[in-house]
Amino acid sequence: MSDKLTRREFLKIAAVGTATASVLTGCGTAARYVTRKPYQDMPEYTLPGRSTFYATTCRECPAACGLIVRTVEGRAVKVEGNPNHPVNHGRTCSRGQATLQGLYNPDRLDGPISQSGGSPASPMTWDAAVEIVKGALISGGFTFLLGQTPHHLTDLISEISTAFGAPPPLNYGALGMFEGRATLLQAATALFGLPILPQFDLANADVILSFGANFLETWQSPVAYTRDYATMRGGKSGQRGYLIQFEPRMSLTAANADEWIPVAPGTEGLVAQALGKLVAEQMGSPVPAAFASADVAAAAQASGVAETELRRLARVFANSPRKLALPGGGALGHTNGLEAAQAILFLNVLAGNVDQPGGMSFQPLAAYNQGAAAATAFTGMQELVGRMQRGELKALFIHGFNPVFELPKSLGFTEALANVPLVISFASFPDETVALADYVFPDHTPLESWGYQKIAVGSEQAALSGSQPVVVPLYDTKATADVLLAALQAAGDNSLIAKVPYTDEVDFLQKKLAPLASEDGFYTAVTPKGFWAKWLQFGGWWKTGPSTMPLFAVNDQPLAVGVPEFSGGGEFFLLPYPHPHLGDGSQANRPWLQETPDQTTTVMWGTWVAIHPETADRLGVTDDDVVRVASSTGEIEASVYRYPGIRLDAAAIPFGQGHTALGRFAEGRGANPLAVVDSKLNAAGDLAFGATKVTITPTGKKQKLARYESRVGVYGYDK
Amino acid sequence: MNETVHDENVGKWTMVIDLDQCTGCQACVTACSMENNVAFVGEADAAYGRGMHWIRVVREWNGEMPDLTADFRPVMCQQCGEAPCEPVCPVFASTKSVPEQINLQVYNRCIGTRYCGNNCPYIARTFNWFDYERPEPLNFQLNPDVTVRSRGVMEKCTFCVQRIRRGEEDANAEGRPVHDGDVTPACAQACPAQAITFGDITDPESRVAKLARSARAERFLEEVGTEPRVIYLKGNGKVVREG
Ligand code: SF4
Ligand code: SF4
Repeated sequence: MSDKLTRREFLKIAAVGTATASVLTGCGTAARYVTRKPYQDMPEYTLPGRSTFYATTCRECPAACGLIVRTVEGRAVKVEGNPNHPVNHGRTCSRGQATLQGLYNPDRLDGPISQSGGSPASPMTWDAAVEIVKGALISGGFTFLLGQTPHHLTDLISEISTAFGAPPPLNYGALGMFEGRATLLQAATALFGLPILPQFDLANADVILSFGANFLETWQSPVAYTRDYATMRGGKSGQRGYLIQFEPRMSLTAANADEWIPVAPGTEGLVAQALGKLVAEQMGSPVPAAFASADVAAAAQASGVAETELRRLARVFANSPRKLALPGGGALGHTNGLEAAQAILFLNVLAGNVDQPGGMSFQPLAAYNQGAAAATAFTGMQELVGRMQRGELKALFIHGFNPVFELPKSLGFTEALANVPLVISFASFPDETVALADYVFPDHTPLESWGYQKIAVGSEQAALSGSQPVVVPLYDTKATADVLLAALQAAGDNSLIAKVPYTDEVDFLQKKLAPLASEDGFYTAVTPKGFWAKWLQFGGWWKTGPSTMPLFAVNDQPLAVGVPEFSGGGEFFLLPYPHPHLGDGSQANRPWLQETPDQTTTVMWGTWVAIHPETADRLGVTDDDVVRVASSTGEIEASVYRYPGIRLDAAAIPFGQGHTALGRFAEGRGANPLAVVDSKLNAAGDLAFGATKVTITPTGKKQKLARYESRVGVYGYDK
Repeated sequence: MNETVHDENVGKWTMVIDLDQCTGCQACVTACSMENNVAFVGEADAAYGRGMHWIRVVREWNGEMPDLTADFRPVMCQQCGEAPCEPVCPVFASTKSVPEQINLQVYNRCIGTRYCGNNCPYIARTFNWFDYERPEPLNFQLNPDVTVRSRGVMEKCTFCVQRIRRGEEDANAEGRPVHDGDVTPACAQACPAQAITFGDITDPESRVAKLARSARAERFLEEVGTEPRVIYLKGNGKVVREG
């Protein structure tokens, strides 16, 4: 480490530690920058043998949980949840826990590289990198493609794009895609007139109808919703809450539900609409226009849920004092996904739970959380690929997103990328997109970075979560915000600089945060320095009490939920879903996440095709037999896992493995189901990722899956 | 609760896991591995049953589709009062720590006979078959409070004894007793469902003492007489509502 340090321009690190989240250290709090050098010249509050704790934000998924990172003598050794943080109340998921294995990953990119025109990667200086970025910005015709990019950087890039008259940045990612985030935003716009993401008070609900919402794994804000779920189980609403999960595969959420109803894929919207009609009748209220066209018998027929069952479920829902319906990605990722989302959201309107305890609510719209949930629909990606194919794009900047891996192969992104003269990636890891970029200007990893994350859902209080470096950057990486600002300044156009008037990343943050000092937050500060100190100490800023926004309008319009359409003539519905530990696939290079068993199959390190044991018998395959899964657009191979909780006509494959790059722990392992998914759309222009049918054929090969449960047999233990 | 626990064995540090709240998410497994420098072994060894996880979340299927249900139970070392692993160790590497009343593994005594592992009814012990590699700089995240184990020794959950010690030392330094909540193991700290509670059961006001009095309290494999210090609160079972 030490030789790297002498070569490096020291990053200035404001060091405001907290002994616990609520205790001020009282040292150097008001300093804007403090240079922290390890070992020989440590700051006075770093005691050998004692830890220093820093509050920051988890960036492994969009939920933005607050973290407290324990550091010892300049090294980060443990990640904990921030107990004061309104999203996670001190807890984290497995991905949050393993974030240190990103920071200390042995396969990180350690400095800017040039591999322009397919030449072998060669190191370059940051000065040269800034020149390249400057040139690209000045010559125009560029687009920023963002994903799990920190929100402060997204905001800065928006300002830069506007200043240059470039199109606004695009924002896409596998987690948002599997959630149908763009679909949900459009459904909210259609019903409530606002493109805002609803959040759900599971804690106080009594009956929850979850339509494919995997809120215990990856959906929206899993730590917050898991806490809510546990509270609901504890009977906060008066009696022990009741969860009904509609899903063709038994996910972890379904496994915890009181009732798991394996509906036919893509019929969730039909079921929701039928239930809406029956519930309204049961409650004695007029049937809303949204449910008027529901055909209960047809819905029962299509979904495979008997009509008597639908009527019982409608009674359970109608008779509950606090009822809630969740529009999960499994329901939205179909050709009828937009209508399904509307039907499910309207169940909440019918239940009268909007802005009520145990109901659906919306974070208030404010300057500080504007765009918190922004998600480009899949058509946005198609348009981008079109522009790339036609050679209309001079330069593509990519940050926080690995499109070559996270987009379905059928979209043709990889091939189109060859038509872009200049591709610049800001990735920290050598992923599949990096391999095709002309230049890579690696950003710091999240625990070495400044920033803020907007909270879209999962918090009672409106909040902005703060990030600060917890250690000195390990390598010769540079904050992307600083690279862009340096390029802008180097361009020397004063009218541009006036539009984006920030000296560096910290200056940008402080200017953006300044208005919060006069908002009604849980702390106050007289001076900007004082505010900044508290911002760093607490790991963000949030309101004192619950904050929601009332709905101004509800449009009850007739709704036609169509029968789902599928592509390909295969026998099986393909159910791709995000791996609970590997998220959008970027976590596949964390060895401990690879080795943490999948919750329901206990598989580690690999990709499996979950099919029902009866299906396996019929196909003549058993556990660990490699099968070929093929659609009209592609095929992959993976080992069979005989899974008792899946429909006989479906096959489920987790997304997250199948990397051809991303370092030693990820590469050459498993398969990517997006190689098989066809680019079918729903009415929101979002990807209908569940609309592909596949064939499954044995290959005669065998590849043993590493299962945790098999250990029982190895040790001769059986209950 | 088992009323026949011998006085000298009454556990002080106790963990309560509410199975009705536990979702089986495995955050505790990852958190434990991060805190305790648990090695990862890679796909081949993991497939062979040599994973080093100190906690395993047992998933049990019940019934058949569509009435299939799953139960999850995180199982770590149960810190038995009458620990079957202890008497079989020829070198006293598996031993009771008297002040903390927990069961410890003394790594530099262990000669790797693995008798303890064979005798543990909870399969809570894992063995270092190799020196597992942590390519640099992954070793930067090693917790300086926890010994890094080498090839040939047994290991298992310690109730995060380093955190117990830290809590006791901090309380001593402030001249006060350890309060309920001062010591939280990594699993309990991470658990998003807040299913795990940790504390001193001899303090009747502690959260664990209160939870241990619940009608749902049970100990895992209680009938084999191990007198575990991990208490499970049974799940509430699934009762289908008729509406
Ligand atoms: S839910 Fe998302 S933000 Fe929260 S700890 Fe897990 S990965 Fe991090
Ligand atoms: S972290 Fe909590 S909810 Fe998750 S498996 Fe462990 S005990 Fe259960």
